[in-house]
Amino acid sequence: MKTMRFLVPLVAGCLALAACGGDDSAESAAPDAANWQTTIKGGPLEVGVLSAKGTPGLAILEQLAKKLEADYAGTKVTLTFANTDARPGIEQRWRSGDPLDVDYGMFDGTNEALRVWADDGKLLDLRPYLEQNDPDTGKPWLDRFSPTVRKFMENPSDKGIYGVPSELSLHVLFYNAKLFTQHGIQPPRTWDDLLAANAKLKSAGVDPIAVTGLFEPYIGMWSDHLWLRTVGYDAARAVLTEGKGHITENPGFLKGLEMLQRLRDEGAFLKGFEGTDFTAAQAQFFQGDAGMILMGSWLVSEMADVIPADFELGVVPFPSVSGGAGDQGAVMAAAQLVSVAKESGNIPLALEWARRLTSVETQAQRAKDIGEVSAVTGVSSPPGIPGIDKVISGAEALQPRDFGIMQSAAKDVIYPEIARLVFGKQDAQQTLKRLDEGLRRVYRN
Amino acid sequence: MHRVAQRRIIIPFLLPALLLLGVFFLYPLVRTVDISFTEWSRTGSYTYVGIDNYTRVIDDPGYRNALKNAFLFTLVGGCMLFPVAIAIAWALHQRIHGERFFRFVVFAPVVLSVAVVALLWKFVYHPTLGLINPALEGVGLDVLARTWLGDPATALPAVAFTTVWHGIGIWVVLLSAGFERLPPDVLEAGRIDGAGEWRLFRSVMLPMMRDLFRILVVLWIVQSMQAFAFVFIMTGGGPFGSTDIVGTLMYREAFERSEFGYAAAMGVILVVIMLAVAQIVNKVMKRDELHY
Repeated sequence: MKTMRFLVPLVAGCLALAACGGDDSAESAAPDAANWQTTIKGGPLEVGVLSAKGTPGLAILEQLAKKLEADYAGTKVTLTFANTDARPGIEQRWRSGDPLDVDYGMFDGTNEALRVWADDGKLLDLRPYLEQNDPDTGKPWLDRFSPTVRKFMENPSDKGIYGVPSELSLHVLFYNAKLFTQHGIQPPRTWDDLLAANAKLKSAGVDPIAVTGLFEPYIGMWSDHLWLRTVGYDAARAVLTEGKGHITENPGFLKGLEMLQRLRDEGAFLKGFEGTDFTAAQAQFFQGDAGMILMGSWLVSEMADVIPADFELGVVPFPSVSGGAGDQGAVMAAAQLVSVAKESGNIPLALEWARRLTSVETQAQRAKDIGEVSAVTGVSSPPGIPGIDKVISGAEALQPRDFGIMQSAAKDVIYPEIARLVFGKQDAQQTLKRLDEGLRRVYRN
Repeated sequence: MHRVAQRRIIIPFLLPALLLLGVFFLYPLVRTVDISFTEWSRTGSYTYVGIDNYTRVIDDPGYRNALKNAFLFTLVGGCMLFPVAIAIAWALHQRIHGERFFRFVVFAPVVLSVAVVALLWKFVYHPTLGLINPALEGVGLDVLARTWLGDPATALPAVAFTTVWHGIGIWVVLLSAGFERLPPDVLEAGRIDGAGEWRLFRSVMLPMMRDLFRILVVLWIVQSMQAFAFVFIMTGGGPFGSTDIVGTLMYREAFERSEFGYAAAMGVILVVIMLAVAQIVNKVMKRDELHY
């Protein structure tokens, strides 16, 4: 009885606390699109950034912030790290009604899981502002962006635009050009070229391909690309992330797995890759321990500090597969989009940040200084990635990376099975069988 | 009259503690149970779905695998921790030369952050650039070299070892306090009766410290079943789920897929399992109290 005297009010209090909460944020009005720039006023602005502290990428953004602060009295820009492991915390802020004014990763028109923020009205539709003439160029702001990236920017459900790309990440095959020249190896344009390059690198005592075993989605980049070539983007995506059909029904899936198994059986991967994390694998590529690495174009900016001065980098699209039923000229890509919160306390200033970030001037500086590939037309390819311009111009299509697997429930099924295959724990046929079981379980089909 | 006055004075003293307990323990617990009956969208809206999340968890092979790994982690880590911690605590109890230095060495890792220790050991375990394999190869024991974190057979023990290496200092301190509490006259009587130090340790010290061991084992179970940071940083649950534990699985469900209700149900089930296991261990290890 005595215990109850304490416990009952305590539990009642807890229940009352649990019942509390809700949305107490006030949505600010979006400015009139026709004259939004005349309404810009200084004030606090919190901007999400992908670059870590102390990196050249952040230095460029700090410069941009200082310029904005100088141009609009009373402006104070806070740059908040909003990449990778910081995302859960940032998204929690969005959910609780305290979003960053400008943020990354909130929208991707090609990925259903990343359209929900726009669909739920949390993001500002940028289309009206993008369609206004830009004072710097006299043309609509929207015209800056390459038509190939529009599908990433646009929400298919309402045709609104909920993000503008600050950079484009292309998935490409990097190779050590110096090593290739030394051993008379041709950059691999086709699968047969790749196998030939593997053989020559191995006979030269170099592990052909750097890969990490401690981050399964990066191992999965190989199966993603092979399936792009042997199955095709739409057909693969339907099975892998939309739960339409079964993986056993399209022979291209097995073909892709068998090709991956062949790489494994021929010892193409970095020695000890199973216990190597991705930073180490990337560093080993630049140290000459491996001849190639399949990675996003961010590799160069990310690893800038460890790339030897005399390192000669080459880049080609993922090799085409002769007789493959998929897309042979497509390149997997992701547009890093910045979105503006509809609840931002200073929407005009947030728009101005996005406009300046995507200006030709800023984009050219980012390409030159940190090797970022721009989605803005008229910006030269980064000189630090020789050949990337040919990859872009030669791409028949830019297809969203990883088929959206990373945001789907199938992630925990697909990539671990691919890792089992690459680690030598099962063959292609067994992998297909286990994938089929897993996908049927996830999609209940 | 005296009792009433006593009661009146107890309440204000208890209030701050009760308030803290309510806000930081009971409220989150009640809220988690509440959330476990809901399904969330990524943007934060939710609907009540009854016990759906619980039935899903029970049918989820990923959760069963994570639970199995959590038990394995607890068992393997416990086997690594207790014999070594007891041995060190006993050695330090012997008033050896340089005792303070050894105490410092044993306790030093505790003050390092989990992230630092995890990254340090990730490097140590690296198959070609790390310290272990090259050392093994250097002394002709190449046959023992492994891809430590990349092999499903060694990844979980490797992470458990790192966890133990990091925290052993605390356990040594707790065990040392237990050794210090042993009555010197009982030990002296044993010595007079001709017992050697090993016999004394085995037949007198260990039985007298049984209650302490029981508490420490329960504490270890509770702590290791909730492990998260070392696994998250060192392996992310891989390779192919061989180190995935409930903490990492819950994190992915909640923060990568916004399945907060489902993750909360996983957490509630884990709490129930931990309470049951702790209760069983408590009962199994319970003996008549020794007063000394």
